[in-house]
Amino acid sequence: MSVEKPDLTLGFVALACCAPLAVAKARGFFEEEGLNVSLSREPSWANVRDRLAVGALDGAHMLGPQAIAMTLGLGAEPTAVIAPMSLNLNGSAITVSKAVAEALRGIDPTAFDTRPRTAEPLKRLIERRASAGEPPLTFAVVFPYSVHNYELRHWLAAGGVDPDGDVRIVVVPPQRMVEQLTAGEIDGFCVTAPWNGMAWQAGVGEVLVHASEIWARSPDKVLGVREDWAERHPRTLSALIRAMIRAAEWADQAENRGELAALLAQPEWIGAPEAALRLSLLGPGSDAPDAFDDPDYIIFHRDGANRPSPEHARWFLDQMARWGQLTGEAEGADRVYRPDLYERAFKA
Amino acid sequence: MRVLVIDPDLARAALVAEGLVGVEPLEVRRCPRFDEAEVAAFAPDVVVIACESPDRDTLESLREASAANPRPVVMFVDRSEPALADAAVHAGVAAYVVDGLAAGRVRSVLEVAMTRFRLMQALRNDLTKAQADLAARKTIEKAKGLLMKERGLDEEAAYRLLRKLAMDTGRPLGAVAADLVAYAEILKGALR
Repeated sequence: MSVEKPDLTLGFVALACCAPLAVAKARGFFEEEGLNVSLSREPSWANVRDRLAVGALDGAHMLGPQAIAMTLGLGAEPTAVIAPMSLNLNGSAITVSKAVAEALRGIDPTAFDTRPRTAEPLKRLIERRASAGEPPLTFAVVFPYSVHNYELRHWLAAGGVDPDGDVRIVVVPPQRMVEQLTAGEIDGFCVTAPWNGMAWQAGVGEVLVHASEIWARSPDKVLGVREDWAERHPRTLSALIRAMIRAAEWADQAENRGELAALLAQPEWIGAPEAALRLSLLGPGSDAPDAFDDPDYIIFHRDGANRPSPEHARWFLDQMARWGQLTGEAEGADRVYRPDLYERAFKA
Repeated sequence: MRVLVIDPDLARAALVAEGLVGVEPLEVRRCPRFDEAEVAAFAPDVVVIACESPDRDTLESLREASAANPRPVVMFVDRSEPALADAAVHAGVAAYVVDGLAAGRVRSVLEVAMTRFRLMQALRNDLTKAQADLAARKTIEKAKGLLMKERGLDEEAAYRLLRKLAMDTGRPLGAVAADLVAYAEILKGALR
């Protein structure tokens, strides 16, 4: 049976985790499922949200917590959005400026050389700066409802740093992270690849800790579609999921990662130096720091990476409550992550 | 009216100024990209941002932080997408939209955005208060239940006792009830 809606527009933000969309498009996987997909590169997550809400997008590469926030009406009018597929696990990291990295190394050289690094030396740096009357350190994340915000807060809090009282957390779009770090407007950031690698290669930042060191299979981006759209286009959704799973599987093969880096470096996708993408996707050569030396730095398919896990959704909800973003009831939040629709894509 | 236009495109700031001719006093300032210090210093009544600007996320995060002075934000949608502008207004997307073509519509769109923003602020404050009231009422019910069970009181007497506690300590009824419930839970845990 043919799909209900063959012509689709999907939104994405220029980050390495858009790989399943890029690969499905470039390798013709969408077409093989009878889908004619146009991709729309979005400048902000707010744009992704609004354009999905008004139907200008059929689906989008989204932050997992953003799908939940949309459904709950946090930060915008409520729109029921579902996540029937996860696009990747891991891929994000916390980077600090060279100056902060040097200060941390000075405070406790042994701790600095021990992975995974905790935030305890950072706490000592914060105390030292406070007693010297220096302004608090500023960290940037990409969106209030993002794994990056929660990952950073979780890591800081575990090391005794109060994310609300001891540091400033601001929102900066991914493509501006490196320049703001260079300009000294921010002291660190948490963002998905390739921007941590970019900061390192530009010589302005050092990765303190990456996602899989904090949580071995850390949730990240999802495919988001409106719930009513999914109900009206069940076959289209299944076809879309199948094409993207195939793409994710391709993107996860070590032998394809070089080709993937070259594809994503193109201006219509990320438009970043291929070397920065290679660092995140293939790991370091001989000269890169061991922070990138992790075969799980970003996972697109293996270990059940594409099945949207309700456990991840619950963790996000817990973080929303923990950091005061969610005060009332979370009605409908349990309907966002939909492993049933993921599994349905393979039936009949 | 103080209007801040965040847009690298000079023409659109000019369009906003043109559409607002006759508004007195009027100051339209343009910056190519978001700068927190500049926004704070200028204290605009309304912010107009190009929909293709990556700074939208930053601006929104400030709007949500209650500490920062929230301001209505109007979004400038590219003229190639007039249908999106209409759909966005229709769907009640929080940001408003100026059709890139019509200077004549600028003033009314900005005014509607500001009015709607004030209404939403008022609604949000009411909602927060209503939620707090509801939570307090639930806690009072729970505390009453505890007193009835533990002290063998009827509902009326339990309520009077709570009220007396509140008056004696000079604290709100909801706070006293919350303490009682919390202590009861601690004791229950300790005895287990």
